[in-house]
Amino acid sequence: MSKLSWLRHALFQRAEFLSARDLLQRAVAISGLFLLVQLAGFREFTGILNGTIGSLALGWNLSAFLAVIYILVYLAFVVLVPVLVLAAMILTVWQRCIPKAEYSRVAPDSNSRRSDANG
Amino acid sequence: MKSRTSRILAGLTALALAALIWLPCLHFVFTRPASAFRQDQGLSPKARQLAARHLRLWTDPDLRAQELNKMRVSNAEWDFMGRSYLVWSLANMTLRDPASKPLYLQTMDRIIDETLRLEKQEGMYFFLMPYARERHYLVQPPHSLFLDGEIALMLASRRMVEEKPEYKPLLTGRVDAIVERFRKSRRMLLESYPDECWMFDHCVALDAIKLADQLDGSDHSALIRDWLAMAKKKLVDPKSGLLISSFMEDGTPLDGPEGSSLWMVIHSLQLLDPDFARDQYQRARKELGAITLGFGYAHEWPKAWKGTPDIDSGPIIPGFDISAGSSGMALIGASTFNDGQFLAALAATLDFAAFPSRTQGRLKYCASNQVGDAALLYAATLGPLWEKVITGAKP
Repeated sequence: MSKLSWLRHALFQRAEFLSARDLLQRAVAISGLFLLVQLAGFREFTGILNGTIGSLALGWNLSAFLAVIYILVYLAFVVLVPVLVLAAMILTVWQRCIPKAEYSRVAPDSNSRRSDANG
Repeated sequence: MKSRTSRILAGLTALALAALIWLPCLHFVFTRPASAFRQDQGLSPKARQLAARHLRLWTDPDLRAQELNKMRVSNAEWDFMGRSYLVWSLANMTLRDPASKPLYLQTMDRIIDETLRLEKQEGMYFFLMPYARERHYLVQPPHSLFLDGEIALMLASRRMVEEKPEYKPLLTGRVDAIVERFRKSRRMLLESYPDECWMFDHCVALDAIKLADQLDGSDHSALIRDWLAMAKKKLVDPKSGLLISSFMEDGTPLDGPEGSSLWMVIHSLQLLDPDFARDQYQRARKELGAITLGFGYAHEWPKAWKGTPDIDSGPIIPGFDISAGSSGMALIGASTFNDGQFLAALAATLDFAAFPSRTQGRLKYCASNQVGDAALLYAATLGPLWEKVITGAKP
């Protein structure tokens, strides 16, 4: 598998819920979203927090809406992303440390889907 | 099914562990030494960046109009207070950074002249909230101590760093008028709004009188002493021991102690009665200040007082009862008393939750506004002006 296709596989193939890859994918998604709202300049609207309108042209409601979006995405980026990455690392280390037999019972990504399908 | 449950449990456990590791560490990303915010000598990097943004506002009329208009939609007072805090900051900066004195003095003069022009041209209501027009001031002709005190302190601060003869009669006239009204008032309480008096405005006005005494050789020490004695007796919340923030002209309390104005009151008191100021700071630090997971913040009201959020407190974040207004102003209190731990923790919160934005060496906080940033600049620069008054040095 070429490096590029491995990356595509890691990033876009849907992972098992709460697996290490799932957590990392969520971290990447939040980071991407944060990059978007940051580049779009939503940060400028957060003046609404002290009662100052973000933009006279856009008005109170739209300014407040953009501010709320920015604040939620920012908090997710600063608080949640590191937690997701750390949790993925903990899961990976855990799966590598426990014996193989138990490892399969804890359901690594590659086997778990079949287990789920079998009920 | 069992394997799916195990995986989810493992994932949740990992998330909980990760949160336990990350949350106590988060503040390390934002915490800097207190000296990054305010230095004993010279200007801190943050003060320089904040100042650069404000100096730009006063050389770019379009940018200034844009910022001021956004604030005036909510509160005309902010336009005025942003000017006051900036002039007081520039006075301290002139003493901290003499090499830039010409630029700072020029900016102070521009702000003062424009403010006086607007006051004369548009009347005092231009810088007051609309409800000032809804009732008559009890004392006629109407005066707002809010405007008179801050303008007097602007003029006095400018003259303290370098004499400007044109401002001498302006300061004397303003101070004499305030003193005359104090003498005529039975309770020594002056209105800022109709039948609404503010502790903040009284303390700032008394600071201006003290500076004027030093500049022009007058002596109002008895007036200041009597006023402080009255305030300690009648304007202190008995439960917390903190000064209340607003009251009627007959002394009836309106609001209890409020962080959004109390931290500045404490700073003002340092010039008038240092022991009382320290006592108030220690009480405020205990009743209003808090540090959680390394982040500093402040409540608007002490535990024993139930208040309602308003334009001064800003929104109150539930759970922790964090007031944006009080937390920002707490930096002034912490700087005044060199409370390094609280100052560094407050500055960490500022960088975490006030959304700093830097452009070409100019810093602004997006969750703040011009008056908020000017108050932060004041917190980062205060000290030398008060010290000059306390040591009795002349301009």
